[in-house]
Amino acid sequence: MNKRRLALTIALTCVGLLLLGSFTAPERLSPVSGAEYALPMEAPPFGADARGRSLLGYALQGAQIVAGPAFLAAVLVGLLATLGGLLRCAGSERLVTIVNGFREVVGALPRMVVILVVALLTPPEWRGLGVLAVFWAILAAPGAIDEASAVASRIGGANFVEALRAHGFTRPRIYLYHIVALNLRPVIVRHASETLMQVVFLEVALSYLALASDEPSFTHLESFHSWADLLYMGYTSLILDVPTMHALLLGLGLVGVTAVLSVSVTASARAR
Amino acid sequence: MGRRRHLLIAGGLTAAALSTGGSLTYYDETLPTTLNPLYASSMVDFRSQELIFDRLWFNSSINNELESRVVDSWEMADGGRAIRLTLKSSIKWHDGKPFTSKDICFTVQAMLDPGTPSPIAEGYRDILAGCKTEGNSVAKVTFKKVFHNPRQRLGFAVLPRHAFRNNTRISPDLEFSARPIGTGAMKGSRGTRGVVFSAVENPHHRAKIPQLQMQEGNDPLLQVRAIMNNAVQGIIAVSPPYRAEISARDELALKSYDLRSWWFIALNTAKAPLNNAKVRQALDYILDRNELREKSIGVKPGERNSPCEFISGPFVQSSPYYNRQVPTKDRSDMAKASALLTEAGLKKTGGTWSSRGAAVNFRLGMLKSMNTEAPDLLEYVGNQFGAAGFGRQSFKISTDEWNREMLTGKAKNYDMLIGKWSFGQVEDVNDLFNTRKTGKGTRNIFNYSRADVDKLLDNYDRAKTDTAAKDAYHKLHAYLADDLPYLFLWKLDTKSAWRTEVKSNTISPYFYFTEFDSWKYDG
Amino acid sequence: MKQWWLQPMVRIGVALALPLAVPLIITYLIWALPGDPASIICPPELCGGTEELAKRWNLDGGPYQFYTAWMANAVTGEFGNSWRVLQGVPIAGLLGTALPNTVMLILLSLVPLVVFSAASSAGWLSPRLDPLFQTIGLVPAVVYGLVAAAVIQLTFGADAFTEDALRIRLLLGALVLGVADGALAGAVTGTRSLFDAERKQRYVGVAILRGETELSNTLPNLASALAGQLRARTLHLLSGAVIIEAVLQIDGLGDFLWRGTLKQDFGLVLATATGFAVVSAALLAFQGLLEIFVALHVRRSPAQVSIEEAA
Repeated sequence: MNKRRLALTIALTCVGLLLLGSFTAPERLSPVSGAEYALPMEAPPFGADARGRSLLGYALQGAQIVAGPAFLAAVLVGLLATLGGLLRCAGSERLVTIVNGFREVVGALPRMVVILVVALLTPPEWRGLGVLAVFWAILAAPGAIDEASAVASRIGGANFVEALRAHGFTRPRIYLYHIVALNLRPVIVRHASETLMQVVFLEVALSYLALASDEPSFTHLESFHSWADLLYMGYTSLILDVPTMHALLLGLGLVGVTAVLSVSVTASARAR
Repeated sequence: MGRRRHLLIAGGLTAAALSTGGSLTYYDETLPTTLNPLYASSMVDFRSQELIFDRLWFNSSINNELESRVVDSWEMADGGRAIRLTLKSSIKWHDGKPFTSKDICFTVQAMLDPGTPSPIAEGYRDILAGCKTEGNSVAKVTFKKVFHNPRQRLGFAVLPRHAFRNNTRISPDLEFSARPIGTGAMKGSRGTRGVVFSAVENPHHRAKIPQLQMQEGNDPLLQVRAIMNNAVQGIIAVSPPYRAEISARDELALKSYDLRSWWFIALNTAKAPLNNAKVRQALDYILDRNELREKSIGVKPGERNSPCEFISGPFVQSSPYYNRQVPTKDRSDMAKASALLTEAGLKKTGGTWSSRGAAVNFRLGMLKSMNTEAPDLLEYVGNQFGAAGFGRQSFKISTDEWNREMLTGKAKNYDMLIGKWSFGQVEDVNDLFNTRKTGKGTRNIFNYSRADVDKLLDNYDRAKTDTAAKDAYHKLHAYLADDLPYLFLWKLDTKSAWRTEVKSNTISPYFYFTEFDSWKYDG
Repeated sequence: MKQWWLQPMVRIGVALALPLAVPLIITYLIWALPGDPASIICPPELCGGTEELAKRWNLDGGPYQFYTAWMANAVTGEFGNSWRVLQGVPIAGLLGTALPNTVMLILLSLVPLVVFSAASSAGWLSPRLDPLFQTIGLVPAVVYGLVAAAVIQLTFGADAFTEDALRIRLLLGALVLGVADGALAGAVTGTRSLFDAERKQRYVGVAILRGETELSNTLPNLASALAGQLRARTLHLLSGAVIIEAVLQIDGLGDFLWRGTLKQDFGLVLATATGFAVVSAALLAFQGLLEIFVALHVRRSPAQVSIEEAA
């Protein structure tokens, strides 16, 4: 029980950090002459980039870019996985078949193409990770639905519901507590937290692809900087003598916060 | 010429080719979209095609004179409405077939054919009327009207008739776009990750480098490291932050590459408050070009041999059309700007300008690819307008969207657009400022329209002498510098880096490889 | 179990339909993009001939007409030439290079995933190693990929796209795909959690008491879920392949699909999307067949057991 509480506390702390960063992000980053590539000791807390802009600003703006969409995508996948599991217990084979077929087709679509089309269709002033994260969640949900459905099937599906009904439990209790809370919870939470991480990685990947394709950013306004910018700034320090290791470490640390959140949420929801 | 002499020349060429170094590799900004000159849409395309094809006429990089490698002699005909070209003999296409006047006429007819959907061909449809062959080595090209610079109007690359089976409807997706046949110094073949050029023997080309490889440069820092390690031998465009590092190395040479381009901020003169000339003039005073140049390109005030030269009108300073009576505005003048804005009816409250009770916000866009040459320029321009009391939203625009929306006059949502124009051989700005109508003003970004400007542009069109053309454009320059459909920024050259083992590498303005025959590589 | 065959048959049915359905959906998606390839190359405001080009490319009759015409040509092996990404290059040739590269990339990247997943489910991999996998997986694939690409570029220079360099790109790309973005950590913990949950079932304890092995009892029940997990992870790797191919400049389905969509090179997009669909369909069919096999195995009477009549 203590481990569960500890995991939950860590998760809530991470959520708090991300939300705090998200709400305190500056609108613009101002360059400071003379502070180019400043290290954290020289320009606390995290140093500066090639133009003297504070990396703290990058961290905060990046949090604003990813936090909301990542949570949204996680919740969406969780809901869809829940629905998938419940549908398996509902007893309607026809509906299950139709949903399965649809799910398989959606799951087979090349995700990055769908994401790219959505990004290109979004008007420039609305461009952001939110819409893309929703579509990513829809495309990634089939795997979660599949697994939740398999778990529901293994506990007996509609037969399980009927058995508990015979014991006198109400349907809402059966579905929400016995099926979702007791059996599907680990699967749902694991998939939701994986999706949360995937959205962060998606943002990094899309930022790079936009840069490589000479396209405007797909995930944020041009005046904003994301965690991906920290990573691109920093990766060259691994192979060349460029003084940007502090940017790389900060970027990885921020991704790490999201990973810790994901792991601790999964741990707190583990089956007893 | 006798057959024996042909063989001697061929042997000599081969020997010359074999005697100098091996393969040369360089990085360009991206891979070319196409190797078909009719569909060139980027500078990379033009540079690559310059190696493969011969243009009828080109400007020599040494003395700027008009020269031709394929035309032996020429004479005007039909009162200046036609030109008769006598071709050099023994020139062959890369597949060995002879180059004749039929190829010239085929190229003209292909460009005139409405079934060839090429913006480049479209430009020639306003100029050329037709072409007739008079034997195998004489072609008579007719113009739609008399031009004061007829040979400059024939700067197109010649295409091989036999490669298209005499079908003048040339589609962009033909295999020719990847495996072209030209008469240029090099034969080109496009792969998925680069282009390989191989030297071809021809009487009019004597390339000393047998093979050239072009690859796509990605991270600019890696490009610089690669050239330092001699992994590659050249970089077409070195990003400004890395130029000092290249300059400091003895084994590398930084060379100027004149793109013949000038940069601007186009203003939406159809939208308030930019429809007021005083507001536009005020913005011109708000811009501190020195600061923009220093921060984004790294050029300090007073720097010698600066690659970035301010302009006050739609021409580069070295152009004969540039009006030197119109001064540039290097520094901002906030007092003048404020006075003009007040005269225009704007009010400043709490540091923010407002018009008719609403705060003035500008929607500012910039062609994304320009960010490599001038990093963060969009941000700096936005900051200057922000500091002056205007709100702003900044967007970067992809090349496709720019071509689809901005150039075609559909960018009504934007207030300002930062872009650049590049001119190959003919500095004809009519399409940029003429009122948009059938066949005219085709690149008028915000559909700018002034009767006086249309008249001046018409004078240029009708000019039969260089003097008349210059006169028209000088007046245009003065008018536009006052009316300001654009805030004119600068002419910007880029810098190429080549290892010093590459010798005599004259870089031609715009087309880059025009003088490739003189290049040598002691690698 | 009533109609146990329904779900596997749905899977197999969908697998057969995917090579037709996915390109159709993709056609409608790219059709929604602003502009069209003909007017991008030759904007009507700038040049004439746009309509004719649109007609030549079958763009004048709507997405369904384009799709059916493209399909009709594709079944005869005629994919046309690239319109914009690699203008003039035959798409069939590009597919011939891209498909094996992507398949090799995915297969190689599955190796660490499958090996480590199997080890963790068998209990050979301590859960204490999970933080290590998670730390390694913390680094986004793009960063590993950029480092790998930089090393190749600096090492090989002008020869960065030879056969040898391509092999190194594939190996490094597969390694990155397999471990980055939490892929390895997810596979290990996901598989272990499935087996852990199953081990807690009463029937497993009973089977062990009977002298049977845990794996022989849990595996048939988990086979379907494992296949589903494997398929989901493979699909995730396929979308990751887009990024890795772009970063490492590997000519693969993902890279061509990305660039083709960006440039609205419809023929290239449909051809590579069909390639994707075929890979996806193969996985789906495999999952369906495995489900049928497992169901039949479970439904057969256990061996060496006979029902004796009560005395």
